[in-house]
Amino acid sequence: MCMASEHPLSISDELKTFLEGPASVLAGTRDSRLMPEITRAWGPRVSEDRQHISLCVPLATSRKMIDNLDGNGEIAVTFSLPTNYRTFQLKGRNATIAEPDSTDLAAVGRHRDAFASVNESLGQSRERVEAFWQAEVETSPVLVKILFVPEEIFDQTPGPGAGREI
Amino acid sequence: MSTASPLAVSLESIASCFEGIIPASICTCSADGRPNLTNLSIVCCVDSRHVGLSYQFFNKTRKNIAQNPFVQVVVVSPANMRQYRLDLRYERTETEGSLFEAMKTRLDAVASQTGMSHVFKLRGVDIFEVQDCRPINAEIGGDALPGTDFLPKIEEFTARLEACSELESVIDVSLDALSALFGYEHSFLMVPDENGNRLFTLGSHGFGESGIGSEAWMGEGILGIAAERREVVRTTNFSRDVLYSNTIRSTVQRRGEDSLLEREIALPGLPEIQSQLVVPLVNQHRLLGILCLQCATVGRFLSDDERVGRIAARQMAASMALLERAESAEPEEIPRRPYTVQPTAVSTVRHYTADDSIFIDDAYLIKGIAGRIFWKLVQSYVQGGRVDFTNKEIRLDASLQLPDFKDNLEARLILLRRRLQDHCDFVSLIQVGRGQFRLDVQHQLKLEERS
Repeated sequence: MCMASEHPLSISDELKTFLEGPASVLAGTRDSRLMPEITRAWGPRVSEDRQHISLCVPLATSRKMIDNLDGNGEIAVTFSLPTNYRTFQLKGRNATIAEPDSTDLAAVGRHRDAFASVNESLGQSRERVEAFWQAEVETSPVLVKILFVPEEIFDQTPGPGAGREI
Repeated sequence: MSTASPLAVSLESIASCFEGIIPASICTCSADGRPNLTNLSIVCCVDSRHVGLSYQFFNKTRKNIAQNPFVQVVVVSPANMRQYRLDLRYERTETEGSLFEAMKTRLDAVASQTGMSHVFKLRGVDIFEVQDCRPINAEIGGDALPGTDFLPKIEEFTARLEACSELESVIDVSLDALSALFGYEHSFLMVPDENGNRLFTLGSHGFGESGIGSEAWMGEGILGIAAERREVVRTTNFSRDVLYSNTIRSTVQRRGEDSLLEREIALPGLPEIQSQLVVPLVNQHRLLGILCLQCATVGRFLSDDERVGRIAARQMAASMALLERAESAEPEEIPRRPYTVQPTAVSTVRHYTADDSIFIDDAYLIKGIAGRIFWKLVQSYVQGGRVDFTNKEIRLDASLQLPDFKDNLEARLILLRRRLQDHCDFVSLIQVGRGQFRLDVQHQLKLEERS
């Protein structure tokens, strides 16, 4: 489980809806040499107490990320809506790894479906969008769950004002 | 520079990832070990071991790069949606030179089109060494896409162009061949006016409305910026909302010249432009026009298409320049045929001297030099019954005050002929031989001159 944060933030209803919606979700971690690693994540969920975030990542694309989190727990996750590039970035220091349960896997299914639908509305066929994540699980269907407590939240919508802390 | 081993996936094999069709992401890390992840507007491939990233805003990404040169970028192939991780090391920032100018033109063109010029200012291009490039699922291969062999098509294109002996055929044959050989179905060609302030459309292919005679301001919008800077502008994922004709119209409105809208012809354009390639036609440092290719598909024009466009444009410009020189050759004399038929229908041709605009039965036809020439022709017809004219006499006619520009007369006559074809079914301008044409009029014409 996640370690308790010194500065827990509470995620608003509005932000929860956004984070659990059809956004493109990417997680950034780093190794001991400060080399960054990007991993696409699926099925984000905000906990009941509004203080924890969970995400799933395919094992096949996240081996380095898992090593990084074992080593230092630093994580940054962006949620970006393909229709208008509205983007939020959440950062935490104590990310941990767990095995997803059926609720997590259901969230992954819902997220992929919503993501495909929103991209369909932009003219991308569902088949193409599905190809997007199929390569991620081509060699292994196993998903890993990542949990963290966001300590900082930024509005990262592109433009000169990007990066404003909320 | 490091003596790194070959990349798992070569940058050349994933060239379409650098077209900006699907947004890329960048992760940096501060000196105290906090990762930061954000979207990237442009990642371009500089050479086999370097990429360039646009630097527009001073933000967390920039701060982190200053502290720690290692970054990772994920790009997505628009062809098969595969994702690739690029491990990069920051090398330097370029604030001038060809790479900077090319990226600036691309950003400025889109910014100008969307009225965001003050926001999208390019500060520099950050150059990174690529230390590794691999599929996001490292266990699967990079599967490069098969390239198209353009050489035989380019040879065929130049062969077709070589057979053209007039400006009009250069335009038509080129646009036809671009469609038939390369599948560039929607294209148009614009040439500069005598002052170099505007461009006007002289030929188009594959649009519902030909847009012949439509204009664009030099230096404004994608067309105007490509022309002014003589640089190729390629947009691969153009905002759905932006239509060129609308921009021209709103520019007119912004300038408080609403009354001129009546005399504006809409630019040729697809209702949903998703990809556009604008290539300047330049010969010996002189701008002869621009070639614009459009497509409703995202990512239609890739770097190879840009090369094809450049080669085609150079060939077209060279042909146009050659014909300009040949055009001054003497035409053979033809017998002048007096007109005999007295048509019954009557139409009014009105000439406004302020801008030389011509209206036939209250419908706008043309303005400027082409309007002046047309007015001269119909005056000669009504007053003296003349129908046959030579390019040479028009060129030498002092009353027309033609600019000292050889290419312009031919271009204006093509423009006039095509506008008549599109908008008037009882007056036409027929080419009857080299440097000669005939005015064919089926109505009685009443001439009116206004200021």
